[in-house]
Amino acid sequence: MNENIDPRALDRPNSYIGKSVPRPNLPKLVEGRGQFVDDVVLPRMVHVAFVRSPHAHAKINAINGAEALKIPGVLRIVTGRELAAICDPWVAVLVHLAGMKSAPQYPLPLERATWHGEAVAAVVAESRALAEDGIAKVDVDYDPLPAVADMETALAPTTPLIHAELGDNLCFQRTNESGDVTAAFKAAHKIVEATFHTGRHTGVTLEPRSILADYNKGSGKLVVHHSTQAPHMMQGVFAKHLRMPEGDVRVICVDVGGSYGIKVHVYPDEVATVAIAKLMGRPVKFIADRLESFGSDIHARDHRINGKMAVDAEGRITAIDIDDLTGIGPYSVYPRTSAVEGNQVINLVGGPYDFANYRAKTTVVLQNKTPTCQYRAVGHPIATTVTEGLVDLAAEALGMDPIAFRLKNLMRDDSYPRTSPAGMKFEGLSHIKSLGRLMDMIDYPLLRSEQDAMRAQGIYRGIGFAAFIELTNPSPFMYGIGGARISAQDGCTVRIDPDGSVVAATGVTEQGQGTEGIIRQIVAEAVGVPIHTVRVVTGDTQTTPYGGGTWACRGAGIGGEAALQAGIATRAAALRVASAMLQASAGTLDIVNGNIVDRATGAVRMPLAELTRIVYFRGDTLPPDLPRELMQTRHFITKEFPFAFTNGIQASWLEVDVETGLVKLLKHWVVEDCGRIINPQLVDEQVRGGVVQGIGGALYEHCAYSPEGQLLVGSMADYLVPMAAEMPDIEVGHIETPTRESLLGAKGAGEAGTAGAPAAIMNAINDALRPLKAQVLAQPFSPERILQALGKVPT
Amino acid sequence: MDMTGEQKISAPRQTVWLALNDAEVLKACIPGCTALEKTSDTEMKAAATLSVGPVKASFTGNVTLSEIDAPTSYVISGQGSGGVAGFAKGSAKVVLADDGPEATLLTYTVKADVGGKIAQLGGRLIDQTAKKLAGEFFKSFSDAVGPHAPDADAETVEKKKGFFKRLLGKA
Repeated sequence: MNENIDPRALDRPNSYIGKSVPRPNLPKLVEGRGQFVDDVVLPRMVHVAFVRSPHAHAKINAINGAEALKIPGVLRIVTGRELAAICDPWVAVLVHLAGMKSAPQYPLPLERATWHGEAVAAVVAESRALAEDGIAKVDVDYDPLPAVADMETALAPTTPLIHAELGDNLCFQRTNESGDVTAAFKAAHKIVEATFHTGRHTGVTLEPRSILADYNKGSGKLVVHHSTQAPHMMQGVFAKHLRMPEGDVRVICVDVGGSYGIKVHVYPDEVATVAIAKLMGRPVKFIADRLESFGSDIHARDHRINGKMAVDAEGRITAIDIDDLTGIGPYSVYPRTSAVEGNQVINLVGGPYDFANYRAKTTVVLQNKTPTCQYRAVGHPIATTVTEGLVDLAAEALGMDPIAFRLKNLMRDDSYPRTSPAGMKFEGLSHIKSLGRLMDMIDYPLLRSEQDAMRAQGIYRGIGFAAFIELTNPSPFMYGIGGARISAQDGCTVRIDPDGSVVAATGVTEQGQGTEGIIRQIVAEAVGVPIHTVRVVTGDTQTTPYGGGTWACRGAGIGGEAALQAGIATRAAALRVASAMLQASAGTLDIVNGNIVDRATGAVRMPLAELTRIVYFRGDTLPPDLPRELMQTRHFITKEFPFAFTNGIQASWLEVDVETGLVKLLKHWVVEDCGRIINPQLVDEQVRGGVVQGIGGALYEHCAYSPEGQLLVGSMADYLVPMAAEMPDIEVGHIETPTRESLLGAKGAGEAGTAGAPAAIMNAINDALRPLKAQVLAQPFSPERILQALGKVPT
Repeated sequence: MDMTGEQKISAPRQTVWLALNDAEVLKACIPGCTALEKTSDTEMKAAATLSVGPVKASFTGNVTLSEIDAPTSYVISGQGSGGVAGFAKGSAKVVLADDGPEATLLTYTVKADVGGKIAQLGGRLIDQTAKKLAGEFFKSFSDAVGPHAPDADAETVEKKKGFFKRLLGKA
């Protein structure tokens, strides 16, 4: 346990932590001078495109590429069998998720296509266009098989099996139970019950999935330029499955155009691209187009949840009982697995509330649709939707105001550390303070009186709330103990170069959210140099310390602490040299603004660049046994708690047009406690971006399927994402409860917005519709569904 | 998707029935059909170009006649592969009824499915495309089988001429 760093107490020239400092990569990105994978062009490079299954489930009888090979510039047709000879399949299970099962998955399937959009053969050509011409000429002979499309019947005895060897279509099932739920429901004053659906949707990154693999037959080395969140993990995956020493594989990702969890998974077409590079001994590039992204990027959040809540006569929650069902596609996704989302749901439901009796079951089934896996705020929007939906129903059943009901049931701010009924350990949260801060921001009585006044005019406005917790900074309890080589620790190397400038190489990665910006702030402050003299290196397995990368909001909390400690160690190393040079004890010296100064008076004793000149070029003038390593590495892993938790509350104010079913968002508020704030502007933008992505899932985004398992979205005309014009003003407030696990105290801020927004929107819509006795519980809350709830169009 | 419709044809039932079994007539009437070849009394090989929304593709496949109750009804079903565009399959139950001695009422019930890129990109357009294609087919079929009547169209042309002449002041 640490005393946290207090940025306000260190208000000296290099106090950057806690300030909105511009990030270093911004001009490059806005000027279009970033380097994404598709910008990398190598000699002898070829392109690959994939023949994708038009069937949800089909036997592949034969693949005939003879006609395609007649096209000049088409070089090779590659099938699953060919790749299986040089690349081992994977089975995505984690041993700590007891009983979990999945089938071996190959880069390209051997016998069967199991979802619409699955890559079944590869065409390598001199350009992407020629490869696509080749695809049109590849003849795949399929026998269509019955598809498992509906997750509700996936386990029925009459439903065909997707993988006969598994015995059924069940991937994973777990019940999380504590207290006496049955007795609590028996003794309940009121019970509320509802069935919620969260719609299947996906991440839609601005830069699509991209990979360029370069295998050198002469050196036996593989270099992979990859748009990924976790370069070190991918290094291990490529090495293991292509049977290479890990040291012979280097993964580089310079700029990544958005990820949201989409780019932290192993995709069969990407592994196929790397295997083809090894097969052909030529650099091979694969850039997914938007059409194939909809069918091959992971989907998420395809859940149906039955929920029940018991309350006593005083308005206290006494029990929650949840039955969650999710369909994840034909394979669990490697290596994080597709069971984690359901597992998160049953770990997070009820999270903000003080109650004793809890039962939550998740059932994770296989189906013939695009595989699902972890996407921004994994499981959180689902858990929050169920919890907050039930909370509003309970408040209504009791005739209580939703804010009064929440205030009565939220965990007290002085009750930590504690463990939730779902078994989550909380170090310190601030639900009551956050609710108070929200009330300061929204003027609740005014909104209610406006609502009443508008109703009289036939205008239906609603206000909805959603308290939430968010799991961040995972320890090895998330993946490592399950056997996955996913690193929970991260490292940072800080060095001072001869010109006195500083380089920080970190294992966490940048995808556009500002990771490099906050690492630069932390290191500049820790060493004591002007921020413009710090360069940050990310995304290269050969030059950065081994780490897990950026996901689960760990960039600031884990990567940031490693950077802080490495920076402090580097400053100490420089001061040790300075004390020898200046004949002063190290404790009387400091580094401020790139100068060695007298700690007491602040008087400049020597520029840092003079110290580095001596160290690097006149080391002979220093005492022979003086350590002079101006380069220090520190790694950090959390130790006391399996996860850090952030918390907060959101509110949505909106208007439902009861004639058209359209929802107009008027205003959105978020109070978020992400622990120590490193850069307020970046945190606010993370929260806002997260809210917008949550709004997308709540109102617009839907990977629609036909009953036969045909994906019905292929372009941005079918798959609606939130656009600037529809977005409300999003006001963000903060409470800071730093984690004591680190000196920095940061917990992470990337997913809070997404965690709470859909529930706040749902509750606001239902608040608007309440006088009309209508409610919607299935996302996305489309005009059609709202009109159905109002009885204006048939269901 | 499912679709039903009916079409009045100005020809006796027997004539309509024979045309429904005539590969040449069908080939001429099926929109985009480039080949239709009988391989047996109840089977044909077909090729057609079809566009749904932004996807245009050539489909090749088999057409089968079943549940034949001459000269009243049959089920015509087909499935075809459009290569990279995906696949299409469908069937139509066609029933003929006398509508007086010189006319026939044809009713049809169509079930159609598409898959692959054509479903992904054109999914929202399938219903209207299918309706349009069915409309085109039965219009052509009715024209091919029924007597050539220079009725309504000719009249319109006449009227247009008159209008045009009036405009030119030559009425």
